[in-house]
Amino acid sequence: QTPIVFFLQKSIKAGQAVRGLHKSAVGVLKRPAAEDTVTSSFGKFISEIKPQHLSPIVLHRSKRMVLDSIGVGLIGSTTEVFELALQHCQHMYAPDNISFVYGRRGTKLSPTLASFVNGVATHSMDFDDTWHPATHPSGAVLPAVLALSDMIPAHRKPSGLDFLLAFNVGVEIQGRLMRFSNEAHNIPKRFHPPSVVGTMGSAAACAHLLSLDPSQCSHALAIAASLAGAPMANAATQSKPLHIGNASRLGLEAALLASRGLEASPLVLDAVEGVAGFSAFYEDYVPQTLESPSDNGHVFLLEEQDMGFKRFPAHLGMHWVADAAASVHKLLVGVKPGKVSPSQVQDILLRIPKSKYINRPFPESEHEARHSFQFSACCALLDGEVTVQSFSEAAMNRPELLALLSRVRLEHPQDNPANFNLMYGEVQVTLTGGDILRGRCDTFYGHWRNPLTNESLRKKFRYNAGAVLPSDRVEQLIEAVEDLDRQENCRALLSQLQ
Amino acid sequence: MLRKGITESFGAAIHALSSNQLTDGVIHRSKRMMLDALGVGLLGTRTTVFNKALKYSQTFTADQRSSVWGRSDLTLPPHYAAFVNGIAVHSMDFDDTWHPATHPSGAVLPALLALAETMPSRPTGLDLLLAFNVGIEVQGRLMRFSREAYNIPERFHPPSVVGVMGSAAASAKLLGLSPAQCRHALAIAASSAGAPLANAATQTKPLHIGNAARRGLEAAQLAQIGLEGNQAMLDMCSGFGVYYKDYSPSVMAHSSSGVFKWILEEQDVAFKRIPAHLAMHWVVEASLAARRKLQNKEGSFDVSRISRVTLHVPPSKYINCPFPDSEHQARHSFQFNASSALLDNKVTVASYHPAQINRSALKELLSKVEVQTPEDNRPSFDHMYCQVEIETTLGLSYTARCNTFYGHWRKPLSQEDLVDKFQANASSVLNTEGVEGLIHVVGNIERITDCSDLYSFLRRTSRCPEQELYDYARSAAS
Repeated sequence: QTPIVFFLQKSIKAGQAVRGLHKSAVGVLKRPAAEDTVTSSFGKFISEIKPQHLSPIVLHRSKRMVLDSIGVGLIGSTTEVFELALQHCQHMYAPDNISFVYGRRGTKLSPTLASFVNGVATHSMDFDDTWHPATHPSGAVLPAVLALSDMIPAHRKPSGLDFLLAFNVGVEIQGRLMRFSNEAHNIPKRFHPPSVVGTMGSAAACAHLLSLDPSQCSHALAIAASLAGAPMANAATQSKPLHIGNASRLGLEAALLASRGLEASPLVLDAVEGVAGFSAFYEDYVPQTLESPSDNGHVFLLEEQDMGFKRFPAHLGMHWVADAAASVHKLLVGVKPGKVSPSQVQDILLRIPKSKYINRPFPESEHEARHSFQFSACCALLDGEVTVQSFSEAAMNRPELLALLSRVRLEHPQDNPANFNLMYGEVQVTLTGGDILRGRCDTFYGHWRNPLTNESLRKKFRYNAGAVLPSDRVEQLIEAVEDLDRQENCRALLSQLQ
Repeated sequence: MLRKGITESFGAAIHALSSNQLTDGVIHRSKRMMLDALGVGLLGTRTTVFNKALKYSQTFTADQRSSVWGRSDLTLPPHYAAFVNGIAVHSMDFDDTWHPATHPSGAVLPALLALAETMPSRPTGLDLLLAFNVGIEVQGRLMRFSREAYNIPERFHPPSVVGVMGSAAASAKLLGLSPAQCRHALAIAASSAGAPLANAATQTKPLHIGNAARRGLEAAQLAQIGLEGNQAMLDMCSGFGVYYKDYSPSVMAHSSSGVFKWILEEQDVAFKRIPAHLAMHWVVEASLAARRKLQNKEGSFDVSRISRVTLHVPPSKYINCPFPDSEHQARHSFQFNASSALLDNKVTVASYHPAQINRSALKELLSKVEVQTPEDNRPSFDHMYCQVEIETTLGLSYTARCNTFYGHWRKPLSQEDLVDKFQANASSVLNTEGVEGLIHVVGNIERITDCSDLYSFLRRTSRCPEQELYDYARSAAS
């Protein structure tokens, strides 16, 4: 029997083969061919990806992200930090009458500034989506794609499907970049991830929407890299939302500059010893090329790794302890809803991962409270849940809450890593009588392993959007997002937001 | 979290430093920096990268407008004026360099000038000078928080790290912010810091300085309207410390009445005579000296008789570029600058024009250049040297070494040469009245109460302001 042997043949153009034979020492020292770099593969992908590459699952999941992001952006427009950012843009720059602003009918700004304030709104309450590896992908991308769509003339506006594709490009690029390092897989310690990958995602999405060629898309990423990176220390402060606002704005800016021909490093994503590119933001960095979308299609990361949506406006880690504490609350109050009294509680032990910026025994601001295991646990223990209202000044200063806070101890078990895919939250309450009640949450409702139902997601959206829009507008928005991939013109969505 | 009070001390110092704490030495040195920055900035307004940034910036409108250096016909919103003018300053890598390494002036001066133009009560020359020095001082302080900062960078481009902090500090000073607000300005600015080194030697590098200026100004203005960041930003490793592998911050001691020790008094800056990365200055001087030796011995210099050129330089990947194919790469290439010097017996602004870069004679010489990195040649602008050895086809060799180039802080440019550089740069854009006017205003800035002359001179263009003197095409590779 003749063995079947397969030869993988790379088609070589005749000229190339000849040139290869005459390669001089000079040629050896040249840079790698443009086709071979990680950076160029990303540029090619961003430019060449098509709507037909979006699978039904990715369409479905990304529409959920768009809806949730708009909702948190709308309620975020009621925050102080949003007001401040908006004032800043309006004082520094005259109204430019182009791109809409969340929750401010009639107010418009130039596209990058609209991206900025809408991004700030989206992250202002830490209510926006979280992915694994950890970042907040939508807030960095959606405001820029929306603002840019507002900028594109009426007769050339992207279809709903094109809009969704650009959004997904922005999310995909973020996911791909985070997989270049082990560091990215854990709860961050150095750079706030949205400020690192979010800027790149926004640049990618906008470069795609602007129909830039592969080289320009690469340059957009490289320009964006010089605008990325903010330290973790500003998390849990009023400045944190600006990380998302700036990611959105600066990514758009990078794409716009690339469209005007600005060039930057052609090796920004590649690992070059002695000269850091995007690798500057990570301690370990192993980049990989991105396959060109072929006739066989492209599998978006969102297909394999779903998104986490929050049920209350606080850092993702809080959701585990809140669910665990809520189950203890239920045990205490029984069947009827009721309040727990501090006099019942002697001691509260939290078993949580070790992470400095979300360990705050006595938060002094809403920003700190949203980044406090202790606060979320005590709130849920007291009230049975954590809500938007839990972070109001009045609610935060309740004596019963402060009493509980003073009884909290922490443990960091070895088996509880600071990783959103692996961590758990355990709440152990010792009652004054001596009884011990324990609650544990491995996967909170809303986590990607236990996703919010469409009904729950819409409920959250209605609550958020309803804070600033009349209910008929709210319902129209839900419909507009649901139908987005079938709309010939994304104006159907945009008009609901103006 | 251990509160070391460092960020607090910076906020307090920025607020409290007063003009009577400026010493003669610091005034003299900082005025030289201002003049040099204006000159290189004016020349830089004729570059391609400046024009791209300008076109982009013109899409923004605002009620407040600030001057674009070297342009009498347009203004921009203050942030974008700071942006484009900052880009101009760094567009040709012609601006000042300090130790530890950064380009301090370009990140600060454009922001201050743009801001000052919009303030209802116009600052005096002394106010500007003080704010400028605050911006420089803060950069110097921050760089002394790590050993990493003392060497030629590998990860983050220093102006993008400390420059934005200096701009925020200077802007906060000029705005008269409270100590708490100054503190928050720094915290907010920290979230805008940090660009990777990979964009050095590309067209985007100048944006690092432009953005430092712009975003530092923005940080100060956000702090002014009440935005808050982490009050311990400089104290924390997860704060400003993220930009360094080793980070050991210390307090900025200051008493409002006593003597203040400015870093600039102890450590001068280097001014460039060639629009290229600082390390190139050692290479060029050594190359010219070796060339002279050859010429003296053999009577004439014939490039075809060179068989090999060996450069002994410190190890640094981003300035080791055997065959640059753009002006940006050429400014960051030991090999190119050595070859240029040998071929032309000088290196000037014109040496980086694409036509010059693409000369076959130059390319041929480039192929004979070898780079070596001896162990004793440390990648630090305070310690490095460059040695050039020319070997001829007849087997003779000529060697010269440069330890300290003219313009380095150990061998500063004379005032006459500094002013000459300014005049050559500024007159490419401004008429004589503008050039001489600026020399006079900057030279006397501490005595000038009304700075509007400064702005009008910056706009005193000569007859053909629109001509791009350096129309650098895209790099050959694209």
